[in-house]
Amino acid sequence: MTNFVDRFTLNFIADGRWHYIANGLLVTLQITFFAVLLGITLGFVIAIIRSTHDNTGKMKIGNAICNIYITVIRGTPVVVQLMIIYYVVFASFDINKVIVAILAFGMNSGAYVAEIFRSGIMSIDRGQFEAGRSLGFNYRQTMMYIIMPQAFKNILPALGNEFIVLLKETSVSGYIAMQDLTKGGDIIRSRTYDAFMPLIAVAIIYLIMVMIFSKLVSMLERRLRNSDH
Amino acid sequence: MITNGETLIKVEDVHKIYNGGTLHALNGVSAEIKKGEVIVIVGPSGSGKSTFLRSLNLLEVPSTGRIFFEGVDITSKKTDIDQHRQKMGMVFQHFNLFPHKTILENITLAPIKLLKKSREEAEKRGMELLDLVGLQEKAHAYPSQLSGGQKQRIAIIRSLAMDPDVMLFDEPTSALDPEMVGEVLELMKELARGGMTMVVVTHEMGFAKEVGTRVIFMDEGEIKEEGSPKEFFEHPKEPRLQDFLSKVL
Repeated sequence: MTNFVDRFTLNFIADGRWHYIANGLLVTLQITFFAVLLGITLGFVIAIIRSTHDNTGKMKIGNAICNIYITVIRGTPVVVQLMIIYYVVFASFDINKVIVAILAFGMNSGAYVAEIFRSGIMSIDRGQFEAGRSLGFNYRQTMMYIIMPQAFKNILPALGNEFIVLLKETSVSGYIAMQDLTKGGDIIRSRTYDAFMPLIAVAIIYLIMVMIFSKLVSMLERRLRNSDH
Repeated sequence: MITNGETLIKVEDVHKIYNGGTLHALNGVSAEIKKGEVIVIVGPSGSGKSTFLRSLNLLEVPSTGRIFFEGVDITSKKTDIDQHRQKMGMVFQHFNLFPHKTILENITLAPIKLLKKSREEAEKRGMELLDLVGLQEKAHAYPSQLSGGQKQRIAIIRSLAMDPDVMLFDEPTSALDPEMVGEVLELMKELARGGMTMVVVTHEMGFAKEVGTRVIFMDEGEIKEEGSPKEFFEHPKEPRLQDFLSKVL
C-alpha cells in the first residue's frame, strides 16, 4: 500500500505533475467541444445539400463537392489529416494549435456526421414529405418542421456514438506536439519512468467522460421518445 | 348536388412518362372540375388514377400538358405552387400524420406557420374541427395512440384547417381495417353535403354511387368513360368498364 501511495505521489503530486493531466484535460475538452460544433454544422450543411440533390436533382455541383469531401475525409486517417493541416496548410502561419486541432477533428467529424444526418433524413417515410408539401409548406419548411425533428430523433444514438469516437480520437493531438490529456500522461511517464500510473489515470478519465456523455445522450433520447407510445 | 358551374380545376392533355419513356402513366388526360362537384375516380390498379390525382397538386409533375387551378396555370415554372397547395387539401392512403407532434399540433402547424394565425386562433379552430369528428379528447395524444380510422379523420381535418377550396383523396380507406372504413366515409359524405369540392380515388363503389356527382373510369393512363353515377353504373358503355364493374360490384 505504501508502494501505491509512493507511486501516486511521485506521478501526480511531486513537482505538481497533476498539472499535465489537468491542463491536458482542458485542452482535450476544448478541442472536442468546438470540433463537435464544427462537425455538426458541416455535417448538417453537407447532408442538406446531398439530400436536396437526391430529392430534387438540384445542386449538382454542390453534391459533387460534398461527395469528394466525404470520400477524401473518410478515406484517410485523421492523424494524417491533422498533420497535413498543421505542417502543410498552415506551415507558414503562426497559428494556435488548438485551432488547428479543432479544424482537423471538426472537418473529419463533419464527413461522418453528414452521412449520419443523411441516413436520418432518408429514414423518414416519403409520405411525411408529401404531407408537408401538400399542406403548402415549401421544401425548406418541410425539412425544418417535419423531416428534421423526426430524423434527429432517429439518429441520436449514432450521433452520440460519433462524438464519443471524436472525443477519443483527439488523443492523437500529440502528433503535432499538443499537450492534450493523453500527451499529459505520456509526459509524466517520461519523467517518472512509471507507465502504469499516468496511463491508467488517463484511461480512467476518458472512460468517465464517455460514461457521463453516454448518460446525457440517453437522457435526451428518453425525452424525445415521448411521442412513441 | 348544386354546382354553380364555376371551373375550379382544368386539366389539359396531361402526359406523365416515367423511366425515360418506358412507362406511360398518364396518356393525354383532360378534365374539368367545377366548384361543388364530387368526382370519384375508379379503375384497376396501375390505371394512372392516383398519378392523375397527385398531378392535380403537382406532387407528380406532368411531363407535358397544363393544369389550371382557379384560373392559374400551376404547371408554369413561374407559379408559386406552395401558395396554391394551401388551397388544395390532400388526404393520403397512409394518413401521413406527423408522429412527433400531438394531434392538435398536427392540425395547427400549417395554419400557424403558413396562414400566420395566432396559436389561440388556430387551436380554437382545431378544437372545433376535432369536435366535428368527435375526437376532442385526443387533442393532446400522439398519432401512434390512435386507430387507423381516427388517424384518417384527423388527416382530413388537418387539411380542412387550411380552409381549402378542394380536397383530394388518394384511396383514403384502402389502408383501413374494414370496421373503420365507415367512419371515414361518413365524414367524407358530410363534407360533400357541406358543398366541398372533392376529387376521390377509391374502390368504394357505394360511396361513388351515393355521393359522387360524376364518376370517372381510368384505364391505361386515360379517362375511358365518365358520367353521372346512375348512367355510369347502370349503363356502362366501354367493354373495359363493364369488365371492371363485373369484378368489383
